[in-house]
Amino acid sequence: MRELFKLNHYFVRYKWSIILGTLFLTVSNMFLVWIPVLIRQSMDAVEELRATGEHHYDTVFDAIFSPEAGVVLAEYSVYLIGAVLIYGVLLFLTRQTLIVTSRKIEYDIRNNIFTHLQKLPQSYFSRTNSGDIYVRATEDVMRVREYFGPGFMYTINTITRAGIIITIMILVNPELTFWALLPLPFLSVMAYWVSGFIHDRSNEIQEQYARLAGRAQEAFSSIRLIKAYVRETYESKRFEAESEQYRQSKLKLDVIESLFHPLLSLFIGFSVVLVIWQGGMMVIEGMATVGNLAEFIIYVTFLTWPVASLGYTLNLLQRSAASQKRIAMLMNEPEQISDGDGSDHAISHIRGDIEFHNVSFKYPDTAEYVLENINMRIPNGKTVGIVGRTGSGKTTLVQLIPRLFDPDKGEVRIDGNDIKKIPLLILRKNIGYVPQETFLFSDTVGENIAFGKESAGTDEIETAAEKAQVLDNIMEFDKKFDTVLGERGITLSGGQKQRTAIARALIRKPSILILDDSLSAVDTKTEDKINDYLRAETGRTTLIVSHRISSINNADHIYVLDEGKIIEQGTHQDLLKDGGYYASMYKKQLIEKELAEI
Amino acid sequence: MTSTGSSSDSKQKNKAVDSNLIRRLYIYLHPFRWLLLLALVLTLLSAFLGPLRPYLIQIAVDDYMAADDYNGLFRITVIFALVLVLETLLMIAVTYLTRWIGQSTLFKLRNAVFNKIQSLHVQFFDRNPIGRLITRTTNDIEALSDLLSSGVVNMIGDLFRIIFIMGFMFYMSWELSLVALSTLPVLFYATFVFKSKVRVAFLNVRDQIARLNSFVQEHINGMSIVQLFNREEKELDRFKKINYDHTGAHIKTIFYFALFWPAVEVLSSLAMALVIWYGGASALTGTVTFGILLAFIQYVRQFFLPIRDLSEKFNTLQSALASSERLFSIMDTENVVKESANPITPESVKGHIRFENVWFKYNRTEDYVLKDVSFEVRPGENVAVVGATGAGKTTLINVVSRFYDVEKGAVTIDGIDIRELSLNSLRSNFGVVLQDNALFSGTVLENITLGRDDISLETVQNAAHMVQADRFIKKLPGEYDFVLAERGASLSMGQRQLLCFVRAMVYDPTIIILDEATSNVDSETESLVTAAMDKLMKGRSSIVIAHRLSTIQHADKILVMHKGQIRETGTHQHLITVEDGIYRRLYELQYKDQAAVMP
Repeated sequence: MRELFKLNHYFVRYKWSIILGTLFLTVSNMFLVWIPVLIRQSMDAVEELRATGEHHYDTVFDAIFSPEAGVVLAEYSVYLIGAVLIYGVLLFLTRQTLIVTSRKIEYDIRNNIFTHLQKLPQSYFSRTNSGDIYVRATEDVMRVREYFGPGFMYTINTITRAGIIITIMILVNPELTFWALLPLPFLSVMAYWVSGFIHDRSNEIQEQYARLAGRAQEAFSSIRLIKAYVRETYESKRFEAESEQYRQSKLKLDVIESLFHPLLSLFIGFSVVLVIWQGGMMVIEGMATVGNLAEFIIYVTFLTWPVASLGYTLNLLQRSAASQKRIAMLMNEPEQISDGDGSDHAISHIRGDIEFHNVSFKYPDTAEYVLENINMRIPNGKTVGIVGRTGSGKTTLVQLIPRLFDPDKGEVRIDGNDIKKIPLLILRKNIGYVPQETFLFSDTVGENIAFGKESAGTDEIETAAEKAQVLDNIMEFDKKFDTVLGERGITLSGGQKQRTAIARALIRKPSILILDDSLSAVDTKTEDKINDYLRAETGRTTLIVSHRISSINNADHIYVLDEGKIIEQGTHQDLLKDGGYYASMYKKQLIEKELAEI
Repeated sequence: MTSTGSSSDSKQKNKAVDSNLIRRLYIYLHPFRWLLLLALVLTLLSAFLGPLRPYLIQIAVDDYMAADDYNGLFRITVIFALVLVLETLLMIAVTYLTRWIGQSTLFKLRNAVFNKIQSLHVQFFDRNPIGRLITRTTNDIEALSDLLSSGVVNMIGDLFRIIFIMGFMFYMSWELSLVALSTLPVLFYATFVFKSKVRVAFLNVRDQIARLNSFVQEHINGMSIVQLFNREEKELDRFKKINYDHTGAHIKTIFYFALFWPAVEVLSSLAMALVIWYGGASALTGTVTFGILLAFIQYVRQFFLPIRDLSEKFNTLQSALASSERLFSIMDTENVVKESANPITPESVKGHIRFENVWFKYNRTEDYVLKDVSFEVRPGENVAVVGATGAGKTTLINVVSRFYDVEKGAVTIDGIDIRELSLNSLRSNFGVVLQDNALFSGTVLENITLGRDDISLETVQNAAHMVQADRFIKKLPGEYDFVLAERGASLSMGQRQLLCFVRAMVYDPTIIILDEATSNVDSETESLVTAAMDKLMKGRSSIVIAHRLSTIQHADKILVMHKGQIRETGTHQHLITVEDGIYRRLYELQYKDQAAVMP
């Protein structure tokens, strides 16, 4: 629970709404209590009028319009309606302040989390399950809100309502109060115990539910194997076993849930029994009136929810606390230091001389180096090709340039400066990066391209699209650049996606362009056209990672990577002459090409 | 109160669909109809006992308190307590009974959906993402939970509770009843307005949640892009906007609830005020007793709650029907690969496979993947299939094991069209060794037997010994009980292959269909794999999609596939001599390097 108190500064931020809401709630309970009191008073008044027997009424209307009884009854009814109306308005205001505030706090928390997320280094995202991060930013926030919303409101309500009602009850009739309240502590204990039990069982059910889904997942994804070996019946049995287990654990919870509400009304019912029995004897003895009985029965009903919610609220707070703990863990992750002590703020531009000096790198929490002692010099304006097997470290190598990761040993230098000294904003601003796995947002094509440059104009977007050879495709869409991509829109082909991502990089007019195998789904003709555009513009340093020799054979220099080391380097001609890995790769690709043409 | 004010035309259409859905759902409830009936009877009983209590209080007040009868008061209190306990027991029984029926129905429905999906043709799985299929077997079933477990019975219970309360009220004083219930139209109207408002607001909340969540999800996945392109500030602004809308949508629903709940309170208290006013006057004339007054005060409260909740329950019902619609659309999916009307189950199969002018394509719009393919595998013959990626090799396996049916032409085994054979006998004659998804998390033994109890451990051990897989299995902790990670990730590539061979061995098929793993294995395992394949294929017909040099070297016949056609046929020694042949080039591309590895 201590975790939650750390959040109390949010209460401070919204202190007026909170104070006002608490006030509304307290005052509303004061008016609520008038309902039973007025009912008792009016019933007592009627009893008195009847007992004195001064007046006799033949019809109900006589009574209603008589100056004595009619006025008394009307008065009480008006009071009652008045009290209820005020209570209703205050209840409305309570929800409008307290619950609305909890939503505002939720809004703040979400913004804080998102801001923080954006500052976390890639190493965090690579070692953390994205599902976990997602749950923290969504569901856990929802749970924490419950602390500020229902959690707080019910607590205040229970305290004020029970406090006020019990005080009045004692003032009216202490003995009857004792009898009426006797079953209530049991009720509260039961509610606490039950909601704890429900929580445990729910976890168990969640786990079994996951197992059930896992069973289905495994069966459906190895459907060929199952069909090939005619194992359908066996799989069905296994699924049914998990399904049965699920049914059983659900039923276990159902037992408790079936007990809960009936027992709740049983305890309340016992309160009423005691009121009728003990109160009835008091009525006979003249120590109480029937009005008192009505009053006490209503008190008991009014107390039901606050008392029951005591247990419920306790559990809710426990869950909120657990969620807050997870959020705090996320918030405590160190952010990437964009501008450290060594930052040289004089650097405002990048020419594009890149140098790797004895660079070694391994991913966090792994033992093996992915890159070992890499040395490269790429003068500005040149184009460099990087080839190698899958897993040879090509992607890791180029990821070091925009500082998605920092090397463990050695330095990456740009224009002679260690990149750690270059302000991160300047460094990244000058790099156009096209990642291996194309990632586009569920937004319009235009927005996706303009993602590369803040406040890019329409013509800039068009030019970038044209250079990336995707303009023609976009123009064929009904809504052109306003075509929405992704789940709610259209699905682009792999090649279209890659070219859009290239346009996104080109729109920044970067000094350094990095293409990480980003033309793999583009046919060779289109690729040539893109390359022609790129070559026409001078002064840009370009790094091309590729599996296809045809993508890089025109590069000024080619590096061949294997197991994190540079094994061959030189121009296309040099490498062919050497007759090493590159040469054999080239030969194979020639044969493939031949085969494709047969 | 159930009509929502939408256009009556679409409403009627919905109704028709709904009643159809309900009828289909009822099929699953049918076996429990007697229990359901029992639950209903018990519900009615408890719906009666609830309103009985205020009546007993009335008797206590008017007959015993007024008469100073201590004993009578005690007696009626005891009766009251007994009624209370009985009602509690009934409610417990009904709730559990309905839940039990619900869970049992869901259990059956869930299994039915799983079995239906499992039985569908392989193409269905290509078209529907696995995630969606899992949702059908889990989430969509859960959504029916409320409806099937307590929904209907509770709604009927609430309805009868209201009727019984009215019965008691009118029995005691019809005049006072009319006065007390005069606020009812207002309540109905408020509920109706609230329901339609809140429905729209809820839909909006759901949209906003989805929008917010997908934004978060997308930005977690694409965080590197955001950071690389210095978009942090801009994206934060966008997030704030979405977050703001999300908060706004919630605040709107809060407003409706903040209005509705107090309104119900006010209305029920208003009814109470009317009871006091008119009832008080009636008490003065003697037409109504104090006990009746007290009873009415309780009835008024009892009355309002079920009406308030009814609208909520109706919403649950609606969403449950939406889920069941999705479920039944799965249940209605037709299986494309059908069992023949009179399936043949041959006593023994020699293993003579013939492809006769087979044409096949996966999608109607696509090009043919197999174009006029004809070849033959004689009993006991080993045939290797080679070709570049996308040549159509894997499709051969898909077609011969009837994962898909050919479009033109036929595949025959021992002269019988495979579409005439029963699916079980066809597939049990094959030992299909697939490249992907061939192992799963489970013990080594389960992975080999696939749960067949009639395969003894001894058989498995013998088979493992024959392909020399026992060497590495014995080194695993727990040997045959060693639990593999998902997709067998805890084993090396070669070991995974050997396990699949053991599986094929214990199933002892007539025909071996094998898709060799593309990845290289170390040279020691390589020789083991070669030896194992020899053992496996000995005396059996086989079709192997070859990725290993030794396989093509040992094959009786090699089929060279290229762009959906068989372009060359012959032995390795023969094909390698064909100048400018496809095989020669494929050999250079795929197999030649392995020559260095070969011992």
